[in-house]
Amino acid sequence: MTEHPRLGLVIGSGSVKCAASLGLWKVLEREGIQLDMVVGCSGGSMYATGIAFGDDVAYIEQNTLSLWTEDLMAGYTSNLRAAMTGEVRFTERSGLVDAEAATARIASVYGERRFDQTKIPLSIVATDFMTGEPAVLSQGRVMDAIRASIAIPMIFPPYEVDGRLLTDGAVSNPLPVDVAIMEGCNIILAMGFELPYRSRMRSFNAVQSHLNAVYINNILRATYAFYNLAHHAEIIPILPVFEKEIGNFDTAQLPYIIAQGEAEAEAQIPYLKKLMGL
Amino acid sequence: MSAKKVALVIGSGSVKCAAALGLMKVFEREKINVDMVVGCSGGSLYAATIALGWSTQKAIDETLRLWTRDVTAARNWGAYLQLFGLRRFDERFGLVNDKLIRRRLSEAFGNTNLGNTQIPLFITATDFYSGEQEVMHGSQYSLQDALRASISIPYIFAPHKIGERYFVDGYLSDPLPVGVAIREGADVIIAIGFESPYQTRVSSILRYAFEISSITSNNLLQSNYAFHNLAHHSEIIPIMPEFEHRIHLFDTDKIPYVIDAGERATEEQLTYIRKLLES
Amino acid sequence: MEINSRTENDVTIVAVSGSIDALTSEQMLAAFMKEIESGAAHLVADLSGVEYTSSAGLRCLLTVQKEMRQKGGDFRLAGVQPNVLKILKLSGFTRLIKMYDSVAEAAASFSGE
Repeated sequence: MTEHPRLGLVIGSGSVKCAASLGLWKVLEREGIQLDMVVGCSGGSMYATGIAFGDDVAYIEQNTLSLWTEDLMAGYTSNLRAAMTGEVRFTERSGLVDAEAATARIASVYGERRFDQTKIPLSIVATDFMTGEPAVLSQGRVMDAIRASIAIPMIFPPYEVDGRLLTDGAVSNPLPVDVAIMEGCNIILAMGFELPYRSRMRSFNAVQSHLNAVYINNILRATYAFYNLAHHAEIIPILPVFEKEIGNFDTAQLPYIIAQGEAEAEAQIPYLKKLMGL
Repeated sequence: MSAKKVALVIGSGSVKCAAALGLMKVFEREKINVDMVVGCSGGSLYAATIALGWSTQKAIDETLRLWTRDVTAARNWGAYLQLFGLRRFDERFGLVNDKLIRRRLSEAFGNTNLGNTQIPLFITATDFYSGEQEVMHGSQYSLQDALRASISIPYIFAPHKIGERYFVDGYLSDPLPVGVAIREGADVIIAIGFESPYQTRVSSILRYAFEISSITSNNLLQSNYAFHNLAHHSEIIPIMPEFEHRIHLFDTDKIPYVIDAGERATEEQLTYIRKLLES
Repeated sequence: MEINSRTENDVTIVAVSGSIDALTSEQMLAAFMKEIESGAAHLVADLSGVEYTSSAGLRCLLTVQKEMRQKGGDFRLAGVQPNVLKILKLSGFTRLIKMYDSVAEAAASFSGE
């Protein structure tokens, strides 16, 4: 056995809630616990990247505020109408909001930073649009991987990386613990979020997002159950509790989200330290 | 040494699920007994015919009578009013009027109770609000109700109300419910399941939506299968024949071809199945 | 089922042929465990002679992987045949175990570890 168990952190999809991982990271830093790998999917990819580069928590928060705003959804309603009436041709490269704006924002935040420049090895998971399989990205520019991984289906157009058309990682592998297993991690911290269910169906959009949540949550549970049985050592789920509803773009709640992540991490620290032999 | 319990699980796949009839032909010939049948979505129809002890010919005849294009032809005008905001939207949204499918199910299965089958039958649906799998079994359900619930294709058929609850297609929680067989103590589990086809070209928003739907349901199929594979103590035998041509939702004329493929796929595994049951 | 083992440099290669299923997997597991207990750190299963694996067979392969990982080593597959690959994909194993076309490539993957 190596000097200490290899520790991996997996941050699954969950939009702005994924910021809770920053709270977890604050605790790990304070305790001097080193991560050997970070994996991110969908919203989690932004925070996995920040952590892998060793960025300041404040800097990562700032990036979220500038990148993740409601106006990314501009044009949704009119584009939806145009697509449904056939006025505008909808292909596998189409989306319901402006691709250029989303990509440009991600570029402005991450620039030309590359995977091989991270302090901690980083992997980001997207989904291959034509084969439906998870696509693990760990080379090239991080901005390309992030743009692919957060491509919410139908809303953001799929994004091409190395000749493959990629979309949101959440539709194939919302909490990619398998990537950490594959890379030989012994102890895996898994932070994942279920999509919220609606209790009232007031519109088509409500039904659609509800059914989408049903699918993805069921994939999340089944994959987690599988990884759980398949792993040789320990997977520690870090599941922050949110007492209030947090909308997808609710960046005003970032301090609360981070605090909840910190609290949940504190609860698991004693066990983690024992496992790490600390 | 007690005999091994054999379960047959037929997942979603509409007309392709008739491959299960091919399997049963082989099993009947070989005198291999099936101790329980589990069906999901399109598979639940064949699971029912098998559990009721119908002959292959009867199952084919009833399918041809039941499953024709006109079951999805009648529009549910209320749903269109809902879409255009002219009527209050609620969970009972479905673009197709289900009167015809319900009548056909009634003609085929009458008032048969789910608990009244020759072989124990389990049909899975999904609770619309909680997203969890609902396993229907036993006398509290009518076979008609269970089938109508299990085949509630989202957006096409409205969720089916039983009592105070709404149910949608079983494939939203698990397209190939091997877990039910595991829970019910099966040893050798024969799993007949199919992936949803991917689009060759996406040329409209509807096709795009189908592509995303196929991606999620295939990943759901695969992740559940992977989990059940590791969780089971004995053997799961996947019988997943591949077809040369694409088989569409209403291609009932291809049923003989599908049954043949099911028969051949079963023959391929027969020696191993025999050895397992004798070991 | 036929099992042959050899060691090249630092890598132990176990070639399996036949079918890996509920009736044969115990024999296969015993062969692998022998190598693990002898201290093998880099283990490769040469599956070019395997035409079929069953659910039970897969669980055995996973047991080998887990044992190796617990000891700080790793277990990789080489020469997986199309029928077997189909089953590995369906069962999610392609996400857990590293696979290579040839034994040489699998052995080389360990260099520097």
